[in-house]
Amino acid sequence: MISRVARKELLEILRDGRFRVLSIAVLAVSLLSLAVGWKQYTDVAKQHQQAQAATRAQWLNQTKKNPHSAAHYGVYAFKPKSPLAIVDTGIDPYMGVAVWLEAHKQNEFKYRPAQDRTAVQRFGEMTAAETLQVLVPLFIVLMTFGTLAAERERGTLRQLLSLGVKSRDLALGKAAGIAIALGMVLVPAAVLGVMSLALTSDGGFLASSPTRAAWLVASYLAYFAIVAAICLGVSARARSSRLALVVLLTFWFANTVVASRVVADVASWLHPTPSAVEFQKAMDADLNDQQEMQRRLDRRKAELMRQYNANSIDAVPVAFSGVSLQEGEDHGNEVFDEHYGRLFDIYDRQNTIYQLGGFAAPMLAMRAISMGLSGTDFHQHRDFITAAEAYRRQIQRTMNADIMAHPVRGGAAYLAGRELWERVPEFQYDAPATGWVLRNTRWSFAILAAWLVVAIGWMMRPLPRAAI
Amino acid sequence: MIRRILQHDWRVLRADATVWVVGGVFATAIGYAMANGVRWTTFQRNALHAASAEEIDRYATIHAQIGVLERTGTPVAAFGDPRNPTQFGSRFGPRYAMLPPAPLAALAIGQSDLQPYYFKVSTDARETLTTATEIENPQRLLVGRFDLAFVIIFLYPLLILAVTHNLLSGEKEQGTLALAASQPVSLRTLATGKVLLRALLLVGIVVGFSSVALLANGVGLTAPGAALRFALWLAAVAAYGAFWFALALFVSSFGRSSATNATVLATAWLMLVVLLPSLFNLVATTLYPVPSRVEMIQAVRVASDEATSAGSTLLARYYEDHPELATGGAEQAMNDFNIIRVAVDEDVSRRARPVVDRYEQQLTRQQTLIDRLRFLSPAVLMQDALNDVAGTGAARHRHFLEQVDRFHAAWRGFIVPLIVQRARVTSLDQVPSFTFREESPASMAGRVVIAMAGLIVPALCVAWAGVRRLRHYPIVG
Repeated sequence: MISRVARKELLEILRDGRFRVLSIAVLAVSLLSLAVGWKQYTDVAKQHQQAQAATRAQWLNQTKKNPHSAAHYGVYAFKPKSPLAIVDTGIDPYMGVAVWLEAHKQNEFKYRPAQDRTAVQRFGEMTAAETLQVLVPLFIVLMTFGTLAAERERGTLRQLLSLGVKSRDLALGKAAGIAIALGMVLVPAAVLGVMSLALTSDGGFLASSPTRAAWLVASYLAYFAIVAAICLGVSARARSSRLALVVLLTFWFANTVVASRVVADVASWLHPTPSAVEFQKAMDADLNDQQEMQRRLDRRKAELMRQYNANSIDAVPVAFSGVSLQEGEDHGNEVFDEHYGRLFDIYDRQNTIYQLGGFAAPMLAMRAISMGLSGTDFHQHRDFITAAEAYRRQIQRTMNADIMAHPVRGGAAYLAGRELWERVPEFQYDAPATGWVLRNTRWSFAILAAWLVVAIGWMMRPLPRAAI
Repeated sequence: MIRRILQHDWRVLRADATVWVVGGVFATAIGYAMANGVRWTTFQRNALHAASAEEIDRYATIHAQIGVLERTGTPVAAFGDPRNPTQFGSRFGPRYAMLPPAPLAALAIGQSDLQPYYFKVSTDARETLTTATEIENPQRLLVGRFDLAFVIIFLYPLLILAVTHNLLSGEKEQGTLALAASQPVSLRTLATGKVLLRALLLVGIVVGFSSVALLANGVGLTAPGAALRFALWLAAVAAYGAFWFALALFVSSFGRSSATNATVLATAWLMLVVLLPSLFNLVATTLYPVPSRVEMIQAVRVASDEATSAGSTLLARYYEDHPELATGGAEQAMNDFNIIRVAVDEDVSRRARPVVDRYEQQLTRQQTLIDRLRFLSPAVLMQDALNDVAGTGAARHRHFLEQVDRFHAAWRGFIVPLIVQRARVTSLDQVPSFTFREESPASMAGRVVIAMAGLIVPALCVAWAGVRRLRHYPIVG
C-alpha cells in the first residue's frame, strides 16, 4: 500500500508545474554554488600552497645572522583549505588566513576575507551548504504543504481512510513519493559535488574526505527527512492548506533566518567576550611582569651554577643570553596559553550554546555538523592555531638552544647559517581525523537524531478524528 | 469617502486577530532589536573609552619619565628611553585613531562588527596597522545580528504581506465586495483606502515602537546630526513600506484568490530579500574576486627583504628625496640603524603599494557593480540606506580610513625628521593627535536619497499599474 501511495504522490508532484519550476531553480542554484565553491577553493588552495613554499624558501635563504634575528624574521603559517570547504565555507571568511610566527609573540590570524567584500555578503553567501540548509527546506515546504491538507479539502482524505488505508501508511507513502521527487533534484547535484571534490583532490580527498563526505550526506538526508516529516505532519493536521502554508513558512523563517541570530545573542549574553583593548591590556600586563621574569632568571642562574659547579654565571659554559631568551619565551607561552586559552574557551562555550540551540531549530544542529565535517568550524580553526603556535615555539627553542650552545666572549657576535635554518623542519599540518570532528559535534548529532525520531513519530501518529 | 472607508475598515481589522498578532510580533522584535543594537554601541563606546583611558595613562607616565630624565640627565638605554624618537614613534607614543559610533548607530549594526573602528597609529608601515579588529566569535559574524535593520529589511515586508495579501480578495471571498461595489464608491477609492489604512497602521507601528525603544534606551536626538539622521530613517522606512504595499496592491489587482496572492507575494519576498542579494554577492565576488591576502603578505615580505639588504643605498636615495633632512654628517648617519629603518619602511610602502592597491581596486569594482545591481532589490537598497543613516556602512568607514591614512602620514611626518636629525622628543605638546571629522551631512543624505528614489520610483510605477488594472477587476466570479 505504501508503494502505491508513493507512486501516486510522485506522479502528482511530477505533473505539478510548481515542481518543474522549483526543481530547476534549486538544481541551478546548487550547481552554481558548487561551481563557485570549487573555483574559490582551487584558487585559494593554490595561493596558499605557493605562499607556504615561498615562506619556507625565505626562511632557508636567510643570510648569516644571529639565531635570534632569524627568530624575529620568522615564518608565516597559511591556513590550508579543507577540500570540503567547497560545500561549506563555514567561518573561513570571518577568520584570518595567515599568522606570522615570530619571536616573543603569539600573533593573531590576520586578513579576514570578509573584510574584502561588500556589505551585501551579510545577506548570506550562496554556498552549497546555504542552499541545502535554507533553500531546500523551503522547496520541501512549498512542495508538501498541501499534500494532506488539500486531500482533506477535496474530501479525498475521508475516502482514502474509509478504504482501510492506515494514516501511518498514507504518511509514509507520501513521504516516500516526496523523497523520490527530491532525490531527482539532489542526487545529480550530489554526484557533481563528489566529482568536483575528486577533481580537486591531490590525493588528500581520497585519504580522509570520503568518510567525512559520507557523514555529511547522511546528515543532510536526516535534516531533509526532519523537514519533510514536519511538513507532512502539519499538512495532515492543519484546518486548511492555507493555514498549513502559513505555519510552515513561519517555521522555515524561524528555523533558518531568526533562530541563529537569537541564539548567537543569547550565547554572547551568557558568555561575553572582552573587547580587544581590554584583552590586549590584560595580556600586556602579564607579559611585562618584570618580577616574574627576574624570579625565573634567578632560578635558572642558580640551577646552571649548581649543574656546572660554578660560583659565577660567567664561569658556566653556556651563553646565558640564550637561556634568558628561552625563559622569556617560556614565560610568554604561559601568558599566551592562559589568555588565548580563556578567550578560545569562551568561543567554545558560545559554540556549545549554538549547538544546543538545535533543540529549538534543527538548522543550527545541521549547520554545526556541516561546518564540522567540512573542516570550517572553530574547533578546527583552533586546532590549526595550536599547531602553528607549537611550530613557532619549536623554532624559538631551536634558535635559543643554538645560542646557548655557542657562548661568545668579549662582545663578539655569534652568527649562524643555513645549517641551523635547516634544522627547523618544514611546517606540516594534518587535518584532524573524522572521529575527532564527530566527537566535537556530538551534541548536534544527538539533537538531529532526536528531531528525526520525534518528527517522524509525530508524522506517523494516527490523525485525530477532528482532523479528518 | 476615503475617511469613511478608513473608519469602516479599521473596525473590521480591529476585530481580526491578524492585526494584533502582527502588532505584537512587531513590537517584540523591535524592542529586542533595539536593545541589541544599543548593547553593541555601548560595547563599542566602552572599548573606545578604555582605549583613550589607556592612552591618557600612558602619556601621563611618559610625561613623568621625560621630566625625570631631562632633569637628572641619567643615562638610559635607547630601548627604554621615551625621548628616543624611534622608540617613541613605535612603542611609547602611538596614538589611537578612533571612529566613534554615529548618534543613531544602534539602528543598524551593519559592517561595524566586522570592520576595525580604531587603530593604534605608530611609525610602523600602514599595511601592518589595517588589521586591528574587534574580538568576536566568527560564527556570530557569519550569522549576522538581530538589529532593527534586520527587522525592517526581513520582517517588516512579511508583516505587510500578512495584512495585504487579501486586500480585495478577502472581501470577495466573503461576498462583501459586490455589496461594497454596489455603493457609490469606485473600486480604486476602496482599494486606496484599504492600502492607506494598513500603511498608516504598520508604518505607525514601526515608527512609534522604534522611537519609544530609541528613547527608552537613552539614545537622544540632541546630538549633532541626529535629528537629520532620524528624519531620513523615517523616510526610508516609509519608502520601503511603500514599495511592498504597492506590490501587494498590484498583485491584488489581478483578482486571484487570497491563497494565490499570498504565494506570489511570498515568492517575491524570497526573490527580492533572500535570493537576489546573495546572488549579487556571488556575481560580484566571482567577477571581481579579491585574491587571498597571502599574496600581499608575501609581496610585503619580499619588498622588506629587498629593502633591508639595500638599506644603505636606500638611505642615499632618501636624502636625495629629502635634502632638507641631511645634516651634513651623512656618512656617520649611514650607520644609524634607525635612519636606515625609516628608509626601509618607506621603500616597503612604496613597493607594496601597487599590490595593496590591487585589493582595493577589486573591492571598489565589486562595490560599483553592487551599486548598480542593487536597484533590482529593494532589500539591498534599504540595507545601504539604513547603514548610511546609522553610520555603519562602507562610505563612513572609508571616510574614516582616509583620515587614518592622513594621521599616519602626519605621525611619520612628526617622528621621522626627529629620527633623521637625531633630535629627541622632549615635550608632548607637539605630538599630533587624531580627531575624527564626521562626513558632511549632505553627502550622507545624498546617498540615502538616491537609495530612497530607487524604492519610491518602482513603488509608484507598480502602484500606478495596479490601480489601472483595477478597472478590469472581476468583482464577481
